[in-house]
Amino acid sequence: MVKYLSEEWAAQAKKKVLDELDQTKDLKNMNASLLNVVQNVPPDQKTVYFYIRFVDGKLEELLASPDESIKQKNAEFTITGDYTTFVQISSGQMSSAMALLKNRVKMTGNKIKAFTITKPIDTFNMCIKKIETEY
Amino acid sequence: MKLSDVLETTKKEPHCGMCKVDFLGTGVCPAGKKHGFVAYWPEGRMELARALAENEVEPTKTLIDIVNSCNLCGICDRQCYFITQRRPTQAQQALKDYVKTLKPNTFKPIPDDEIVKDLRSIVGNDWATNDPIIIASYLRSIIRQKSSGNFYIVMPKSTEEIVAIVQLANKHKIPFLPRGNGTFFGVALQTLLAEPCSIEQGIIIDLWRMKEIHVDPESFTAIVGPGVTSFELQKAAHAHKLRANVAEAESHVCANAQNLGIITTWSNTYGWGTDNFIDAEFIDSTGTIMHLSDKDIPNPYASEQGLLSLSLIPSVIVTQLTLKLHQILDDEEAIFIPFTNLSDALDMAHNLAKRNIGISLAVISRKYLTEFISPTHEIAEDFNYIAEKYLKLNYIVDVICDKYHKKIIEELAEVTFGQSMLKSLILGSSKLASMKESSLLKMIAEEENPLKAVFGGPMRKHFEKGLAASPHELVKVFDEDLRDFFEKLYSKPELTDPVWLHSFRILPCRMERKHMWMYRGGYMPGDKETILKVVDALEKPAEKYHIEGDFGFLSYLERGKLAHLEYDYYYDHTDPDARKRVNKAIVESWRRQFAIKGVTPLEFICSKGLHRKEHILYPFPEGLSEEDLVHFEELIETLFGGEDTW
Repeated sequence: MVKYLSEEWAAQAKKKVLDELDQTKDLKNMNASLLNVVQNVPPDQKTVYFYIRFVDGKLEELLASPDESIKQKNAEFTITGDYTTFVQISSGQMSSAMALLKNRVKMTGNKIKAFTITKPIDTFNMCIKKIETEY
Repeated sequence: MKLSDVLETTKKEPHCGMCKVDFLGTGVCPAGKKHGFVAYWPEGRMELARALAENEVEPTKTLIDIVNSCNLCGICDRQCYFITQRRPTQAQQALKDYVKTLKPNTFKPIPDDEIVKDLRSIVGNDWATNDPIIIASYLRSIIRQKSSGNFYIVMPKSTEEIVAIVQLANKHKIPFLPRGNGTFFGVALQTLLAEPCSIEQGIIIDLWRMKEIHVDPESFTAIVGPGVTSFELQKAAHAHKLRANVAEAESHVCANAQNLGIITTWSNTYGWGTDNFIDAEFIDSTGTIMHLSDKDIPNPYASEQGLLSLSLIPSVIVTQLTLKLHQILDDEEAIFIPFTNLSDALDMAHNLAKRNIGISLAVISRKYLTEFISPTHEIAEDFNYIAEKYLKLNYIVDVICDKYHKKIIEELAEVTFGQSMLKSLILGSSKLASMKESSLLKMIAEEENPLKAVFGGPMRKHFEKGLAASPHELVKVFDEDLRDFFEKLYSKPELTDPVWLHSFRILPCRMERKHMWMYRGGYMPGDKETILKVVDALEKPAEKYHIEGDFGFLSYLERGKLAHLEYDYYYDHTDPDARKRVNKAIVESWRRQFAIKGVTPLEFICSKGLHRKEHILYPFPEGLSEEDLVHFEELIETLFGGEDTW
């Protein structure tokens, strides 16, 4: 059991995605970078940044840290929301697209492109939900 | 009477919310007015009877109070029967009989938790609850059926109270969602849109108590709170010989402005979106109060297009609107131009829109005409059959205008009819329905132009006479104990006055009396070619999935440059198979509409910022490419699962 958004969790998530997901079939050879800004993370209600970058469907980076310097990576998409919402997304209770529809997260970035990567991102979330996580 | 005896009725209850509106002059349910929560209104009692019958909720002591608060006065029977032909007192009687069968220890105790205590400290003890019986009355109209979430219902009285509720929800990290009259939820929650529209747990902010309404006849404006219905605003405006552009009678004005921008047949002159109002007060997700007139608010014009811009939940809570009102002219009257085919009707309506003729202007379908004005669904069906088979009447260009524009229309149109004929059709609809095989109708059908013969030719007098139109004749189709009431009601001039009926919009909910419906359509360029393509894009999925689909109404905006179309799918929402089919038809209708250049389906106009006007339609979206359509399929699967799960 690893703590959600901890370094250990990030390492396991990266390994799981690399081991289990096919770059073409599952991740559609996508090229995209996303910064999730997870607000109000317990116990001290801090903000944690969860960054992912794919190149041709390969997960090149997966980082989770309260360090603001992650923002300098200039992700194509920034998704901002409350910790409780990201728990729902990462545990497979709600897709990120549904969270967007329900106004639970805000997204900046090219929505036309976002539309094309909805499915592989959902596949990514469904993969990492299998990690035994302490939320 | 058992709950199971009324289950067919309660299951089909559409949550139109008309029982909360005094649209017949009878007053409204006294218990609902006193207690506010949906459970105390006829609509909620029916839902409660259903939920208990289907074992979705267990009785609590509050059930006894709800049941005892009803004295079977019958106001709801008159209201609901007029709209849906249902008798809510039967459900209420079944609830009373059911409670009598329960032993005292059956009633589950409901302990207060910290959140409900905090909510009560904000709004007072009577206006917040976590009681499952009250919560159950909100099922299918903001909470999904069989939801297992933890809910609270709170009824604030002021903007400050809503701020405190939002802050409380944020403190506890639970979602919140405002509810107007629930009409939109009642429709959407029966479809695959249920998930994005509903709340899975948290606080439901029922805005019914916030009924502030102030008309300023000098500036032609009205200030309304979020609990004010369209009917209530229109009534207040009419007292000053003014008119508001409002949606259906039961809809809450603030909620409709926020969600759909108030699009009506009057939009031809009064506009839509921001055209309708001057200022708004709203609360954002952090609980901050803002006004459209504030200098430093986030850009109120901001909006996004495309498939990922769909958002069916408002991002702010509108707590007050300052609306424009419009003068009512002394010489306003209705004029109807009947057509056999849609293409001709669109030509006529577009010609009028371009010339700014018609305060209210729309193309409406035979289905709308017959369903709205007929006292029962069965009569509407017969009327529909007669209109199609004998009269060749399929579409009507429906206009409210002044006497000068009336002259122009009479010059442009080959045949028209007015208020007198409409009154005859309303009061004579039951007689007309009985004439299905009459020789008079057969003679009319043999004419070269049946529309001209019946509405403009020598047969007009015979036709009107044959209808033997009178309130006394009409009410013979009603339940016997209601006939006296309805005879008096139909003797009132407004019930047959098309100008009044267009202003107050008490008839559209009749669409729901047989089956649930689902609003399709959206916004598009006003050219006929595009409109006909969209109609086809909506018709085809209905045919494919065996859903009854019908043109509803089309209004032009911006002098015919743009058009708004409502096309409806009708289906039995209590039938799981029908629900699956309608969901498939919805998805296919999106796919087909998105493939047409310039078209924005209705759902993609919802909740797009308060300061919404036609700018959200530009640039006209390109139709989706084949590649886009593949991504569209993937998006739908991500959002709603595969077809099997719908």
